[in-house]
Amino acid sequence: MWGIFLESVVIFKNYMGYHQNHFLAGIYLFVLLYLWLTEKDKRRRILFVYAPTLLLFLFFCPLFRKVFVRLMEDSETYYRILWLLQMSVVSAYGLIRMMGKHRRIGLAVVCLMIAACGNYVYDSEHISRAENAYHLPQDAVDIVDMIKPEEGRITVLVPADLIYYVRQYSTDIELPYGREMLIARWDYYNAMYEAMEKAEVIDTPAFVELTREYPCAYVVLKKDREIGEPLTDYGFSVYGEVGEFVVYKDMTL
Amino acid sequence: MLSVVSLVFWLAVIPFCIGLIPAAFISSEKRSLGFVLLAGYFGMWALFELAAVPAVLWVEYRNFRVASAVFTVLSLFGAAVGICLLYRNARAGKPGLIAGSGLWRGAGKKNDTIVTMDGGLKARVAALTKRLPAGESAFWILFFVLLGFQLYKAVAFASFDGDDAYYVVESLIAQEADVMYRILPLTGGSTGLDVRHAMAVFPMWVAFVSVRAGVHATIVSHVVMPVVLIPLTYLLYHEIGRILFGRTGENLPVFMIIMALFQIFGNVSLYTNETFFLTRTWQGKAVAGSLVIPALLWVFLQMYDKGVRKGRTDVGVWMLLVSVNMTAGVCSSIAVFLVCLLTAVTAFCLAVAERDWKVLFKVGAACTPSVVYMAVYVIMAYGYLL
Repeated sequence: MWGIFLESVVIFKNYMGYHQNHFLAGIYLFVLLYLWLTEKDKRRRILFVYAPTLLLFLFFCPLFRKVFVRLMEDSETYYRILWLLQMSVVSAYGLIRMMGKHRRIGLAVVCLMIAACGNYVYDSEHISRAENAYHLPQDAVDIVDMIKPEEGRITVLVPADLIYYVRQYSTDIELPYGREMLIARWDYYNAMYEAMEKAEVIDTPAFVELTREYPCAYVVLKKDREIGEPLTDYGFSVYGEVGEFVVYKDMTL
Repeated sequence: MLSVVSLVFWLAVIPFCIGLIPAAFISSEKRSLGFVLLAGYFGMWALFELAAVPAVLWVEYRNFRVASAVFTVLSLFGAAVGICLLYRNARAGKPGLIAGSGLWRGAGKKNDTIVTMDGGLKARVAALTKRLPAGESAFWILFFVLLGFQLYKAVAFASFDGDDAYYVVESLIAQEADVMYRILPLTGGSTGLDVRHAMAVFPMWVAFVSVRAGVHATIVSHVVMPVVLIPLTYLLYHEIGRILFGRTGENLPVFMIIMALFQIFGNVSLYTNETFFLTRTWQGKAVAGSLVIPALLWVFLQMYDKGVRKGRTDVGVWMLLVSVNMTAGVCSSIAVFLVCLLTAVTAFCLAVAERDWKVLFKVGAACTPSVVYMAVYVIMAYGYLL
């Protein structure tokens, strides 16, 4: 039980970003304490004080965590219990109560506190200027436009960089493996993936044999991908180039 | 152009008209344009759950087409009922169905019948501007700048999320192949039903909007949904703030500014609902964290907040609670559990504090759709054990 409790503590710390020196949770806990001491309205105490406190208690309760994991068959989403705290609503309510009539100076201080304790979402490495209306990399769109069949579906082997995007643009393109191979903790095995991504240098004969098992009508490789012998020696032809990618077509199909 | 008209119809007109139904069953002081639109969205998603989940589970071929047809009929019927209620109340001269009292009311003699627009729009705008002191206006301007900034970022910037390879592709498969959850989104192979994901039909609603508008589902997910869902979420925060601080005064815009800042700086980890809200707005789980769970808080505030409750809770609020519960199922299976948990904890605290144990039964009854959802989930997922 102690171990489960400590796991919940780690989840809480990771969720709140303590290890990266983010302290928005500090504002929330301070507001919660303030509301414990000052909120007089019984019904608001229930919503903004008692219920969040009980939820926090449940979150750290090992027995509750065991029940959650058993019911949901999933321990990775346990952090979502913390969504129920509605930190922003409770914090905003408490902070405005604290401000009283000094709203302008109070708001300025609160703005600074939130900016200092939080983390600017648009600094995320996952956010970049959109290249098109689909919000997909333009290379992925151009490659699919180049190889998309007029009717029916084809299987295409693409590098890991494109796996997330190709089928968001067209489901007429099928893949030998998908995103599941890119998540290490899921620990899947796929021979095609091993040959394409894991091998330092692509072993061309074995690689080609695997692509024809699916069969892959096209193979997309990064220009700098090391390959034992050129694919063109094994019945492929260069179909086109897009950005840092070369598109090969299997002429035997 | 036709796409824009269609988007406006399915994302504004239909939910608004459906929202007129619960609005007809609440007291006038609770009514507002925000209430109608929000209640309409939750009602619309509840109807979508009724149409899509049975089709996913029990229709094998072209199940998306079946779900779309049923949902179209249900939503048009719901909208028609809403309009009939609006018309009936207007004829009966009852207080406005859309907005009861408060800031957004005109100065005309019959300003309690906003539904007929007596007093005119001009009078209403004049009343609004008159009531906004300079300081309050400045706060509102600051809030709208923050909101506009978030919308600009949502449209002009792409946010990568690996889960899109599942959810967005599910929407696109439904749009392109007329099939729900029968094709593996990651690769394209056929697959058995993954009940945990299949019952959360939010991507199918995105697909429905895409088909009706004739716009690629990935564009609808990444561009249209943020443009709709971000303002809708702030509308909900506005309604919460309105109950907490009243319709006028500086506290409401200050509340909105703080809420906006919490969203913008809430990325303290990948897991917060604030991060989900602005980086994967179009996914059901983000809607659950930022819209459905706060909506539950909103419902409880309407039910029990001081000065609002007058003896009995309005039927319209109960309708809203049921709709919010059903929307949780549309968003994600875990959201159903979360909403039930929050409902149970809050109802328990209310029962203890108020010495009113009946509330447990009333609120429990409103959670019936979630209980049915979980029962179907368990039967479908573990039926093979029986």
